[in-house]
Amino acid sequence: MTRATGAATAACAVYAACAAGLLAWPLAATALPMGSLGTWMLMGDANAGSRDLSANYAITPRDALGGGLARWDDGGRLRETAGLNYTRLVRRWNLPHAQANLWFVGQAGAARLAGGEGAGAAAARAPFASLAVLADYETTRVYLGGGLRPLRGGDGLRWDTAWARAGFSFYEAEYDEVQPWFVLEAKRERGAFERKSLATPMLRLIHRRFFVELGGNRDGGVFNFMFNY
Amino acid sequence: MRSAPLLITLALAAFGARADGQTVKFSVNGMVCAFCAQGIEKRLVRMPETGPLYINLARKVIAVEPKPGQRIDVDKVKAEITEAGYDVTQVETVAQSVADIRATMKRK
Repeated sequence: MTRATGAATAACAVYAACAAGLLAWPLAATALPMGSLGTWMLMGDANAGSRDLSANYAITPRDALGGGLARWDDGGRLRETAGLNYTRLVRRWNLPHAQANLWFVGQAGAARLAGGEGAGAAAARAPFASLAVLADYETTRVYLGGGLRPLRGGDGLRWDTAWARAGFSFYEAEYDEVQPWFVLEAKRERGAFERKSLATPMLRLIHRRFFVELGGNRDGGVFNFMFNY
Repeated sequence: MRSAPLLITLALAAFGARADGQTVKFSVNGMVCAFCAQGIEKRLVRMPETGPLYINLARKVIAVEPKPGQRIDVDKVKAEITEAGYDVTQVETVAQSVADIRATMKRK
């Protein structure tokens, strides 16, 4: 094997490992779902029952296009989706000491269902779509946010999520310092086979372009992140 | 001693550049989070005349100092901040450097 071939093989292996990692990642919903014009936003959420990863690029000050992968468990049945996202900043209120936003996020793509309502245990593939509305209000010390995201697809796919979040930062921080927050999330999930409510306390850390949340609920640990580039 | 004239020349050049191009402070409504500020900073540092820059989230202030021998185009900076999604409510030209503004605001 030549050195060039070896390097190519290694690159392919790294690429395959990264792709596998992305596919294995469970997805979620965090704070601002897009960055400013010309900015990439990478977002991921992981907990015991679901994972998701998405990326978008702001093509205008109010619109972003991207894609996402998600995996979750609906009453013991695995659901996986891969789709394209459109994010719209419907309205922003720039207040003297606060910012408030109203967002719309649409997603459509393909879903893979292990055990659909009609198909029994066989894995089925079906199209899906979701329409989410999110709102948030934030000062340098207080955060309030929430959203609704109904998702529907073929073969009985259904997964509706509603969540509300409230938090405060422990102290005022400079832009170039890490700012820690306490955030409490209340979430309601309703699928075709399972319904559940979760309360999740989290520690949020923000530093310039990095955003991380670590928490836990009765299902297990929670890890959310955002990266703005 | 032979380096004294050189030091004086450099000091005068630095003083002259600062007097020529003054620092501009922008008050920005809605700039409350690091992600907001990062989006604005990214746009401003791309401008060729932008030198040192300071962002204070608590006071919603961005201070931009020009590179030596250049001036800050206030309308251009306002347009960048607006395009990033925020509102400029006040513009003030000051004789301080960004380093001085940073030090003053951190003391308060």
